[in-house]
Amino acid sequence: MAEINSSFQHANQRTMLARFFEQPSVGKMAPATAVLVYTILALWTLFVIFPLYWVLITSFKLPQTVNEGPFYIPFVDFTPSLHAWNTLIVTNFADTVRSFFNSMVIAIGSTLFCVGVGSMAAYALARIQYKPKLGSILVFVLLLIGATIITVAAGLDWKIVFSAALAIFFLLVRALSKHFTKQLTNNDILFWIISQRILPPIVVIIPIYMMFQSIGLVDTHVGLILAYACANLPIVVWLMHDFFAAIPIEMEESAQLDGATRLYIFWDIVLPLTRPGLAATTLLTMILCWNEYLLAVFLSTSNAQTMPILVAAMNAGDRGVLWWSMCVVIVVMIVPVIAMAVILQRFIAKGVLTGAVKG
Amino acid sequence: MSSSNRASVTFDKVAKSFGSVSVLEELTLAVEPGEFLVLLGASGSGKTTALRILAGLETPSSGHVKIGETNVTEMLPKYRNVAMVFQSYALYPHKTVGENIGFPLKVRGVGEAEMKAAIFDAARQVELDPLLDRYPRQLSGGQRQRVALARAIVRRPAVFLMDEPLSNLDAKLRGHMRAELKHMQHELGITTIYVTHDQIEAMTLAHRVAILEKGVLQQLATPREIYNNPANLFVAGFIGAPPMNFLKGTLKDGLFEMKGGRLGTSVKGSLEHATLGIRPEDAQISTKKAAAFTGHIYTNELIGDHTLVTADIDGQMLTVKAPKEFAGAPGDAIGIDAPANAAYLFDASTGARLR
Repeated sequence: MAEINSSFQHANQRTMLARFFEQPSVGKMAPATAVLVYTILALWTLFVIFPLYWVLITSFKLPQTVNEGPFYIPFVDFTPSLHAWNTLIVTNFADTVRSFFNSMVIAIGSTLFCVGVGSMAAYALARIQYKPKLGSILVFVLLLIGATIITVAAGLDWKIVFSAALAIFFLLVRALSKHFTKQLTNNDILFWIISQRILPPIVVIIPIYMMFQSIGLVDTHVGLILAYACANLPIVVWLMHDFFAAIPIEMEESAQLDGATRLYIFWDIVLPLTRPGLAATTLLTMILCWNEYLLAVFLSTSNAQTMPILVAAMNAGDRGVLWWSMCVVIVVMIVPVIAMAVILQRFIAKGVLTGAVKG
Repeated sequence: MSSSNRASVTFDKVAKSFGSVSVLEELTLAVEPGEFLVLLGASGSGKTTALRILAGLETPSSGHVKIGETNVTEMLPKYRNVAMVFQSYALYPHKTVGENIGFPLKVRGVGEAEMKAAIFDAARQVELDPLLDRYPRQLSGGQRQRVALARAIVRRPAVFLMDEPLSNLDAKLRGHMRAELKHMQHELGITTIYVTHDQIEAMTLAHRVAILEKGVLQQLATPREIYNNPANLFVAGFIGAPPMNFLKGTLKDGLFEMKGGRLGTSVKGSLEHATLGIRPEDAQISTKKAAAFTGHIYTNELIGDHTLVTADIDGQMLTVKAPKEFAGAPGDAIGIDAPANAAYLFDASTGARLR
């Protein structure tokens, strides 16, 4: 007993220095930890903010101001000028606006397509058990390869060859399905979908370009919308799958008993409940499409040129990098993203499911 | 209510297995129109599976389910005209109380005016009419439970299905809601199938109780019959609080014998390994020298209106419901008597009742 008392006294008599390194209460940081954490946060904030600040002030510099050396504080170091803004917004108005409009149409179009199709696919994968047989898939792939070889080697009309292959496939699958035992599950399908995102886009860009060229999709809005939608579909499916799977299934079962169809349940119950996830996924997809450069540089020339291409174009020519103009384009590019984030912010709130089930 | 809402329910050799695991074995069960039937069992007994098969949320591996005269085995849930109350309530958190209650009608395309009247009617029945504009998150557990109930009664289904609807409520509220449920079912007269693991709910609510264990129906009878005349060892042990005492011994021409006690019973016959069942309330503490069972007190618990005394009878425990004034201390010698007609005898190896 006396021992315990003395240890309590000891705790009270600790020095200021000892307390500096100790938590004042459970769930609070020790002063030393707080100093360290906020120092790191402050440094990181500077690291993130500085490039943005640099872009913003550079857009108000004259070419000679940029060339004469690093100046950081407007009105003190240098006199801000609207020269670069004037060039891009007034002189080259048509060019800038076309790129901006292209980026808008393509980003919004592909995001809508991608989130629409992707969330429906994700919902199906979260709620319906698919059991494709591995054997059937193998037969399908083999027939596809066979058909391709026959088309190329024998020079037959591909429409006839592929119709025949498809017919053989259905006949074979019906006959063989009883002998295939190995089944795939939804997780395998999900992994197959995400695996397409693991593939680096650069390795498929040439085939895509040739394909687009043969069907006349190069340098069109539809072409880029399709390409971006395909590139981002795996991300949407992957993200939305987890949001759908988190919804208590009883809610959907109850709606089913009450007479609702699957589509009705999806629209009226599931989608409203996944609104935070949907908003976050939409924002992410939109930003990915908005910033995309690699596909755009191959698949667009002038008609469908997007903002990232316009930024890169400021680096061309014999005059070197036009930092001032580039920064104007970057500022114009950043503003819509910030606006989107602010608009979608209020949807990305937690607690939508409160009150659904117990608790 | 109109008699058209009263439908019978028939399970005809309904079995269900998930892969190689059998959860329900050939359940045959007939529920009368307007009856309140409780499916009682521990978790994993197959009671919820039986209910989900009736709702159409699971397909049976074999057998048929009929509602009224219609075979509904292959029918989609929405055509079965059943309403279900889930254990978790399954309310739609983004809809108001009124919209939640009206959901089944909205889906069916009922007109605005008619829907409003029906929602108000159902809400009044469960005393929720002042809360129609609230959201589920603003309600207490008991109120959410009522919303789920109102959503079920709003369209006057042929059959009510309830999956442990009271188990998320605290003890006091549960008792209150139990009484309300019973009253409401009586008023509406809708055939109700109620799943629970709580024997008190089963005894108080049911017209008849079906006890399931490991997917097999153990007994189907009125609560009184199940209590007074359990069909086997499992049912005897499952029903009653505190549970029935079980003592192992031998039966010789109707006389049960074990170390530390013997009791004459009304059962004729002999058995090497027998189990004697005595309910705590049927046994008394005896002051006579020649009590049926003698041992010493293991522990005693004052419950309030009575004391539960557990005696150690040569290694076997026997609990007796004694008056609240009882003042024995653990270790004291004790004698216990029981009337012959309160003794239930079971075959210790099969669990079958001996009569």
